[in-house]
Amino acid sequence: MSHDTHHAPVASKLELAPERSDLGLIRPDRSTGWADWLTTVDHKKIGIMYGAFAMLFFLVGGVEALAIRTQLARPDNDFVTARMYNQLFTMHGTTMIFLGVMPLSAAFFNFLVPLQIGARDVAFPRLNAFSLWTFVAGALVLNSSWLFEFGHLSGWFNNFDWYKSLVYTDFAPANGWFSYAPLSGTFGQANAALQAPRFTGVGTDFWIIGLQILGVASLAASFNFICTIINMRAKGMTMMRLPVFTWMTLVTSILIILAFPAITVALIELMFDRQFGANFFNPSAGGQPILWQHLFWIFGHPEVYILVLPAMGIVSEVLPTFSGKSLFGYPIIVFSGAVIGFLGFAVWSHHMFTTGLGAVPTAAFALLTMAIAVPTGVKIFNWLGTLWGGRIRFTPPMVLSLGFIWMFMCGGFSGVMHSAAPADAQQQDSYFVIAHFHYVLLGGVLLGLMSGLYFWFPKIFGRMPNAPIAYIASGLVILGFNLAFGPMHYLGLAGQPRRTHTYHEGNGWETWNYVATIGAFILGIGIFLAFANLVWTAFKGKKCSPDPWDGRTLEWSLPSPVPEYNFARSPIIATRDAYNEDKYGEKKIGYENDGGEAGIHMPSQSWMPLVAGFGFLMIGIGMPLIAMGVPHAGWVVISGLSVMFLGILLWALEGPGGYMLKTPTSSSPAPVTANTSSY
Amino acid sequence: MSQVAESSHAPTSTGIDHKKLIMWLFLASDCMFFGTLISTHLLYRKLYPTGFTDAEGHQRFIQNLFNIELTSFSTFILLMSSFLMALAVSAMHKGQIKSFRRNVLGVIFFGLIFLGCQVYEFTHFLHQGLTIQNSVFGSTFYVLTGTHGTHVAIGILWLILLYFYSFTGKLVGHMGALDVEVAGLYWHFVDIVWIIIFTAVYLVEYLGPTGFWGTGLPLTK
Repeated sequence: MSHDTHHAPVASKLELAPERSDLGLIRPDRSTGWADWLTTVDHKKIGIMYGAFAMLFFLVGGVEALAIRTQLARPDNDFVTARMYNQLFTMHGTTMIFLGVMPLSAAFFNFLVPLQIGARDVAFPRLNAFSLWTFVAGALVLNSSWLFEFGHLSGWFNNFDWYKSLVYTDFAPANGWFSYAPLSGTFGQANAALQAPRFTGVGTDFWIIGLQILGVASLAASFNFICTIINMRAKGMTMMRLPVFTWMTLVTSILIILAFPAITVALIELMFDRQFGANFFNPSAGGQPILWQHLFWIFGHPEVYILVLPAMGIVSEVLPTFSGKSLFGYPIIVFSGAVIGFLGFAVWSHHMFTTGLGAVPTAAFALLTMAIAVPTGVKIFNWLGTLWGGRIRFTPPMVLSLGFIWMFMCGGFSGVMHSAAPADAQQQDSYFVIAHFHYVLLGGVLLGLMSGLYFWFPKIFGRMPNAPIAYIASGLVILGFNLAFGPMHYLGLAGQPRRTHTYHEGNGWETWNYVATIGAFILGIGIFLAFANLVWTAFKGKKCSPDPWDGRTLEWSLPSPVPEYNFARSPIIATRDAYNEDKYGEKKIGYENDGGEAGIHMPSQSWMPLVAGFGFLMIGIGMPLIAMGVPHAGWVVISGLSVMFLGILLWALEGPGGYMLKTPTSSSPAPVTANTSSY
Repeated sequence: MSQVAESSHAPTSTGIDHKKLIMWLFLASDCMFFGTLISTHLLYRKLYPTGFTDAEGHQRFIQNLFNIELTSFSTFILLMSSFLMALAVSAMHKGQIKSFRRNVLGVIFFGLIFLGCQVYEFTHFLHQGLTIQNSVFGSTFYVLTGTHGTHVAIGILWLILLYFYSFTGKLVGHMGALDVEVAGLYWHFVDIVWIIIFTAVYLVEYLGPTGFWGTGLPLTK
């Protein structure tokens, strides 16, 4: 073989000569600095990059939100045009869901899951890097639409023939995050160039291909995580000893692999309508726009749980730690999470009550929707049970987690109100709905994720975030959030419609819109402060001990920052919350006799996931260029497909490679016999 | 040697290899993918049971369009390719690399015949006046069967690469057999999906006196 892993174990990869792959190419294994980050297969570094990109896009989506709120602060405002307003709310929703919350959850999956189950990496390290770079490609494709919009507004394209022939010129997506057909589709007959007239500009094409690429990233990551959780648990780490966060990762990943195909197909069909004149959603040719709604929400409702379950997992780790108690009703919490995921597939039509489904389906979906409140309520009561009688420490992550419970409950209550179909008919498309899902997704999910950031940041970087700033930021977020979204309940019931760029004076909406805008800015300042505190901490924060919170799960047993091999010796687990038991009771963690001088196998780094991701970027930019009618744009797509194929081919042929790394032995206790029965 | 590196991994918690498990997960996801496409086709078939209107404005019946003999033949060929795939996997497990190569060439050949039939069928239908643009039936039919054809094409490409890779001497041992078995899982799945498509898209048109949707031609002309 052209490369070998027979060399003696080393203390650092830099001691070795550059490794050659099976193809004879030099692998980027010995790289440091930026090349090391671009080629890394280390789940911890990938997690950090996921988190950094997610926080960046949170800020982008936040700026879009503030522009929306500025426009709505006053009646008959002209801060932005109606056209720009459509693009802003569409990109705000899409960015927050697909580029903010999902990747931030993925950051936690990446960093924590292998540590919590006692593994040294994920099952497929290079596939994990591929997920990251494909996500970045999709995010760039979606946001590159803003560059085209900017060029359009600045008049850069005025001399081009393709630009003069465009009917609609909204370059950023402008259909709402659900892109309902027929608005997103076509009408009439296709012409000789296989294109039917459309209702919207190429922004929709950016949206279609961007989401398709993000779907590939999410699916690849989910296959990887299910495989990791099921297959790479340390000895003794049975399914019912898994930390709840890992359990929720598993449920979320299963939801992703079963829900995303529906939108993949919907996007393919919409793409065929727009680019090749097909008739899936074209009403003039017999297509049924309602089909889009069904396909979208069959994906879209599980997506809601894809967003919230990881946050619930985080809260289920934070609350026991700062209550000094084990989680109340662990099996019920796990089971409720699974039931929420399962029921999530059976309620999609509650987004479509006003479309006229008929009495029986409407009643069935209303009942199932109410049923989901049961496992969710069970979780809330279990969290309260965890707090009850505990020795509570109001640290920043704890404050944010308590905020999560409180805000998420408010969102849950208005959710139950929606489940009553007759009431929903009043609330549909009003600001009441905006209030509801922001209480769930922002007051719920974002507070949960921020709690996780403040909880695990000391583990990730070995530095403690500044506490006073963290308290101030948390207070501002919770205050600003309630000020911004609380009044929207009233505005919605008073009739203010969603997705409308302005309103006239005299409807009684002026005061509360103004208050909501003030709240939005307080919220924006709070989130910016919270994120700035974290970024500062990553570089300059005060160093802290490896277990500053008195943690309960395995990751706290490791040094901070966590070494690249994670566990110097693989742990053997004898109970749930093993690290906590081990600290205060009998020894519940043993260690296998691996590592040490014999070394452990580390996978080789690779450029190929990045290359394949770059191929996706080219495809993603090329498809909308075709839709614009830019000459030779097809070649961009063909080159992109070739680059992607080449990347995957070389990836398969370069071999996993790897080297043996020594781990310190002095600090590891001697192996002890632990209960390893029953996987 | 890469085999050494891989076999040094700890055994998995379930005893199932990572590669096999991840392929099963992918197939679970692909089930939902084809399920959505097939549902789209069936929904529109129920909504517009009378077929489609060709370029000249004539109402056309699906039974007159389909060539069920040809499609039955290509279905049979695809089924037989699955049989050869099973033989190829079995040969790899026994370490018989030459037998593996023979069988996998057979799979590739049969797969290409299937794709050839599909290309012929598409051009034939196009001449008959069914396009992706002129009817909902055209859209759902071409996109559904075309997506399946793309799956077959990817499978053929994969097997061709495995075939040539076997000459490097690296496709050996447990890991080599596993790589072939995973490709085999994919191939069998694509085959099973075709059996469902063949039933739900083609055969039902011939069910009962006037087809499953009740508006086809009487079968006894």
